[in-house]
Amino acid sequence: MTIIHHYLRKELLILSSFIGALFFLAACEKQPDVGTFGSGQVSDNGSANIVVVDSSTINMTTVYVDSTSTSATGFMMVGNYTDAYMGQINSQAYLQIRPPAGLPILDPQRDVYDSIGMDLFFVRSNPYYGDTTVPETYEVHQVTSLYQLPPFEYAWYSNQALPIGGSLGSTTVSIAPNLPYTSQNAGDTVKIRLDDNLGRQLYNMVYNKSDTITNLATFLDWFKGLCITPGGTPGSAIYGFSADSSVMKIYYRENVNGASVTKSLDFTFFNPSAQWNYVTNDRSGSPIAALVTPTSRTQPPPETPSSLTGHASYVDNALGLTTKLTFPYLSAISQRPDYIGLLRAQLTVIPLAGSFSTTWTLPPQVGIYSTDLHNQLLVPISAANGGPVQMGNLTPDYLQPLLSTYTYDVTNFIASQIGNTSSGSNQVGLMLSVPPPTNVNSYRRLAIADQSFPTQQRIVLSVYYISLYPHQ
Amino acid sequence: MKPGTDTFKEQLILPQGSDSPVRKQYSITLRIPMLRIHTLLIRTLRIPALRMSALFLLLLAVASTRTFAQGNNAPYSQFGLGDLDNGYYNRTTGLANTGIAYRSNRFLINNNPASFTGLSDQYFTMETAIRGQYSSYAGSQVNVASTDAADITFRKLVLGIKLSHHWGSSIGLLPYSTQNYEFQVPYNIAGTTLQIADHYYQGHGSVNRAYWANAFEFFHHLSIGVDASYIFGQLNQNDIIQATSTGATLVSTTNNTSLQNLYVTYGAQLYGRVGRNWNYSIGGTYSGKGSLLAASTKQVLNNDSIMLQNIQNQEGYLDLPEAWGVGIALTNKQKYTFVADYRYQNWNGVASQNAYPGQAYSLASAQRGSIGFEISKKKAFYNTMVELNYLQAGLFYENSYLQINGQQIKDYGVSFGFGANGLKSPLSYSVIFQYGIKGTTKNDLIRQNYADVTFIINFGQIWYTKGKKFD
Repeated sequence: MTIIHHYLRKELLILSSFIGALFFLAACEKQPDVGTFGSGQVSDNGSANIVVVDSSTINMTTVYVDSTSTSATGFMMVGNYTDAYMGQINSQAYLQIRPPAGLPILDPQRDVYDSIGMDLFFVRSNPYYGDTTVPETYEVHQVTSLYQLPPFEYAWYSNQALPIGGSLGSTTVSIAPNLPYTSQNAGDTVKIRLDDNLGRQLYNMVYNKSDTITNLATFLDWFKGLCITPGGTPGSAIYGFSADSSVMKIYYRENVNGASVTKSLDFTFFNPSAQWNYVTNDRSGSPIAALVTPTSRTQPPPETPSSLTGHASYVDNALGLTTKLTFPYLSAISQRPDYIGLLRAQLTVIPLAGSFSTTWTLPPQVGIYSTDLHNQLLVPISAANGGPVQMGNLTPDYLQPLLSTYTYDVTNFIASQIGNTSSGSNQVGLMLSVPPPTNVNSYRRLAIADQSFPTQQRIVLSVYYISLYPHQ
Repeated sequence: MKPGTDTFKEQLILPQGSDSPVRKQYSITLRIPMLRIHTLLIRTLRIPALRMSALFLLLLAVASTRTFAQGNNAPYSQFGLGDLDNGYYNRTTGLANTGIAYRSNRFLINNNPASFTGLSDQYFTMETAIRGQYSSYAGSQVNVASTDAADITFRKLVLGIKLSHHWGSSIGLLPYSTQNYEFQVPYNIAGTTLQIADHYYQGHGSVNRAYWANAFEFFHHLSIGVDASYIFGQLNQNDIIQATSTGATLVSTTNNTSLQNLYVTYGAQLYGRVGRNWNYSIGGTYSGKGSLLAASTKQVLNNDSIMLQNIQNQEGYLDLPEAWGVGIALTNKQKYTFVADYRYQNWNGVASQNAYPGQAYSLASAQRGSIGFEISKKKAFYNTMVELNYLQAGLFYENSYLQINGQQIKDYGVSFGFGANGLKSPLSYSVIFQYGIKGTTKNDLIRQNYADVTFIINFGQIWYTKGKKFD
């Protein structure tokens, strides 16, 4: 043993160094790329594969909500148009105005009433929908009843209207929304001349410092409010005017050192929560004429199968329409003998061919939510890897419409449903709905072809599952 | 060694030559400052030298676990049991592993279990080897931008002892086959050209041979040996489906096949002297047909690495062929040695019974022929010739056991070796360079040009000295 004791030391040092070097060198491995060599010799050795099922039955229904809160949206949606799928849509805006805060001292020797008008503003980012090449007519009416919410109501809804008087004035104007520019040559302003009787009455009140003018409550109790309506003639577009910029002006001329100077008394927008849009939809003759509507206020939003609405379902939140999707035979996938797990699921929503164009544009964002047998809009469906709320990632292609698709990662939802065979599970589904706030500001609608259409044109649920045949 | 000095008295033992080992004591004084730390370590930790040897082996074992995991992408290892290792990583490696008839008094010649009687009496020896390999691949499917591979692998650990004058014994661990491959193919949905992912096929694993061999000498010219091996190992094949765009794993299937069984090889050597200058040896080996018990499991993991399936498959058998080999060695004046071998494995005989994974290839009987030449430099110490170093060269040609695309895969090459026996220690070192070509570019196959450098370390010592001390 002693023999080894000394002479081993040198060698052990060398060997230790060698082994140490080996550790470093072993990390220097590199590998060639031999392409697909060997793939022809791979036998069916029972590896798991990915199978895609894109033929799952999807039941599509259009869920109708009879009203939605349209107050305090910031936009006065005014216009009417006839849509090939939705029928005739009419929207008018209610608002309240307040007298000028500081009243000027009017002198009959110096100041002379001139006129009264309503100014509406449309800026580039404001919503619009329809054919904007056609002139639109706008009328201003005064509300004739008490401007007050019904009992137990806390917001104005799209199906609520107040009585209005005759037209105080109207105008017909073309609006180029992307400039914006109006045919009145007043930039982004639409001017409506109103009845001078009202103007003189208000001017005199200002002159007299009437309590009706100086006291806001008294004024609102007397004046109530205004309603901007589309004219009686059928229009072709709807515009969203900036509510808080709307103003009613009384113009008067003042003699200043012999010169006539035009001045105005501005009755400005008041109380945003009291501004709402009243929307009506005449569906007769349209594909959604057979839409099931609620028969009582307590009834859950009814749904109408796509087969009754032109083999399509619709999303147009301003009209109360959302699309519900249910997957009645989803569990059949999990019952396949080779199914061992879900990989991912993707929902591809293809807008109905021909239903959209550069005029009838698609909603850029359509959210996807869970829903239940009561057709309630529940929580947003998140992608498998988390991330923000899904909006469909639409890239419109007007030249190849079928390439315009909304896509959603619905893995989490399908994972929870694919093995769910409990009663009522068939009524649990997904809801397509335009997210707030554009759900009430934008009238853009989406028509979705159901599965009676050819494969390339219809909604598709692609379920990617992991397959392993038990006999392998 | 005295503390604080740079000198120490070192015991010197001469290396074991081709004849009986000699042990001489020399006292010399060396000045080696670089050894101070190492010596201090030994002294401070009070680690005896033999424990240091154990530590060395432990380090080697750790290194081996690291290096066993390494491996070049060997495309042909996808088939059968993988790349069968025809190397022994011993004294005969420089002779193109030609050594069925080779005998040595200090090296373990695993080529033939009968060779262990050639060890010097009471001689204990231990040997390990590490191989570095550089490969270059060519073929119609090889990406010209990525044709090279390099790796370093631990290859063996063997021990042997001459238990009595006529009985040599050895145990050890040797590679039997290795598997390491990977390739990627598009994964299309059935019936369409819509590619949704890629299949990334990957295989790795090894089958090893733990053996205990014993050799007995009869009539001073005949040695009979039996090598009882326990063959074991695991071949892992992964089929990973990856997203084409991101490369993220979507699902993976791992098939683990554990293999084990006994495998016996018999060997014999007949040797003697012809005239004054020539020594001869004739050897042969034989292995009967064997079967490896194959237990396989299948595990399927999803993209979150959650196990979906864990299946224990029914056990089966993978057959090993009947094999035999013959060889001859001629040594002139204890200096020049000529060796030649021929080996045959009858894979045809088991091909129809085997259930090796894969398709579109077949097993064919393997043949290997090799020759080698060695020059051994020896020096006379008293009445004994002690080997100082040696040079080797060899050629080999092999028809492997794989036939793919109508071509039986061939492997041929040359080897050169140099070895030196330490004058001051019981260690000896060998460095072997081998260059070979495996496969062909015909019929969509791949040709592998490879260059190996093998480093072998041998430790030898006389045991059972009956209490005799050397200092």
